[in-house]
Amino acid sequence: MKSLEEHLAETAAFHGGDCPGQTLGVRLARAGLEQIGVDEPLSDRWRKNIMVYVEIDRCAADALMIVTGCRVGKRTLKIVDYGIMAATFINLKTGKAVRVIAREEARSLAPKYAPEETSKYEQQRQAYRVMPDEELLSFEEVKVTIPPEDLPGSPISRVACERCGDHVVDMREVKIDGVTLCRPCARGGYFTRGK
Amino acid sequence: MCEPDQITVPVQEAVGLVLSHDITEVNARTHYKGSAFRRGHVISEEDIPKLLDLGKENLYVLEMTEDQMHEDDAVLMLAKALAGENAQFMPEPREGRINIIAGVTGLLKVDVEALMRFNLVGEVMCASRHTNTIVQAGDIVAGTRAIPLVVERELVRQAVAGAEAAGGIISVRPLKAARTAIIITGNEVYTGRIDDAFEPIIREKVETLGSSIVSVTKCPDNLLAIRQALLEAREAADLIVMTGGMSVDPDDLTPLAAREAGADISAYGSAVLPGAMFMVSYFEDGTPVLGVPACGIHHPRTIFDLILPRVLAGEKISGADIARLGHGGLCLDCPECDFPVCPFGKSS
Repeated sequence: MKSLEEHLAETAAFHGGDCPGQTLGVRLARAGLEQIGVDEPLSDRWRKNIMVYVEIDRCAADALMIVTGCRVGKRTLKIVDYGIMAATFINLKTGKAVRVIAREEARSLAPKYAPEETSKYEQQRQAYRVMPDEELLSFEEVKVTIPPEDLPGSPISRVACERCGDHVVDMREVKIDGVTLCRPCARGGYFTRGK
Repeated sequence: MCEPDQITVPVQEAVGLVLSHDITEVNARTHYKGSAFRRGHVISEEDIPKLLDLGKENLYVLEMTEDQMHEDDAVLMLAKALAGENAQFMPEPREGRINIIAGVTGLLKVDVEALMRFNLVGEVMCASRHTNTIVQAGDIVAGTRAIPLVVERELVRQAVAGAEAAGGIISVRPLKAARTAIIITGNEVYTGRIDDAFEPIIREKVETLGSSIVSVTKCPDNLLAIRQALLEAREAADLIVMTGGMSVDPDDLTPLAAREAGADISAYGSAVLPGAMFMVSYFEDGTPVLGVPACGIHHPRTIFDLILPRVLAGEKISGADIARLGHGGLCLDCPECDFPVCPFGKSS
């Protein structure tokens, strides 16, 4: 495993700048990997055998990508946006899954670990580097059954939407009264089309 | 085998001796004609009046020396030595024979090598049903007898010693009720393109043998998905049966997934038709993972029917066990299947 400083530097370069959220993300990822018994996440042995579900779409998510090597495009990183500073790390070889949560108490403990800093932001950034794991994070072993169609690997299906004609892979289509539709056509999407 | 000497003795002196031939009774009044005393009968005091009534004043009897024994005494010793775990017998020989009976429902196990050695001793015999046959409690599974009426004590001793050294030659192992997980692989089934045909077939075979299905998981042809399903099944099941993905096409990932999940493969590929692509593997904790190829859908009986009972009887199946099935491993595809009363799987 790379050093904390190396991870922080790589994360800052990727994310653009340094912040408490990234620091927290780096710590969270390092601890999570340790919990599932992974020491070299970027090695061939582990590259395809880790998955991470991150529960927030903020700075920490970028830090998780850098530290774990998991990527959205590789289907090894899933963003399930609960708005919680937490992530679950899964060792696919063993099925072991550990959910790591940033403790709310850590925010108020920050001054203790960076007393010389006056700004809250800077205090947190500094404190999150040195605060012990047990004060910064909490851990729970969980069970995750990953839907097979969400796993890395070739698409398992590819069908055309019978309304708009867009092609849909990995069973994301919806069948209504025997008609195959993409989700936007079936349920409405995040976008609307102009006239 | 040497026939003992036949001698003639007066009826009154024949008590305790062994009759060397049948004595027939013809009763004109009752029109009965049949055997009054059978060959091998040991003459008692009470028999004398009847023998005299039948006009027998002298009898042919067998002379039995110290080194010999009567077949009924011999067969009792033989049956005791032959009967291993869960094998029983009635201690009254009928016409020199004792049947060995299954004491429980389960898998008949015959130590075939020891049985052959037993039958080579001479003057004694045992005939059994095939080993690895499912038997019901009370079924006759073997019969034994001394062949001549009077046998050499030393031969009986040898036969008994051999059978005892083998821990009994005939035994029955009860089947364990295994919580069984089924993993069905294939994109075509997972995506609903076609209906699965495997589940009802596997379910019926497993339940017929007294086990239960605890989960059925469908998986696409994705190594990670199959591995995940295996790891989850291992947590809840005593036995895992996988279907599909057993061939050699690029989409066939079952054996690889088993290996990647940590199972040790005893055999992939078997000497049985149908069933050449069968797989037997075990997790470290002993949970068996059986891979059933597509023939399991099209043929009523396959290697799965030969191996499942043995797995449920607690055997750890080795590559050699599978290889041994080659002899007798050819199903004849009869229009009406009579398995297990057929040659299929009747290797030793």
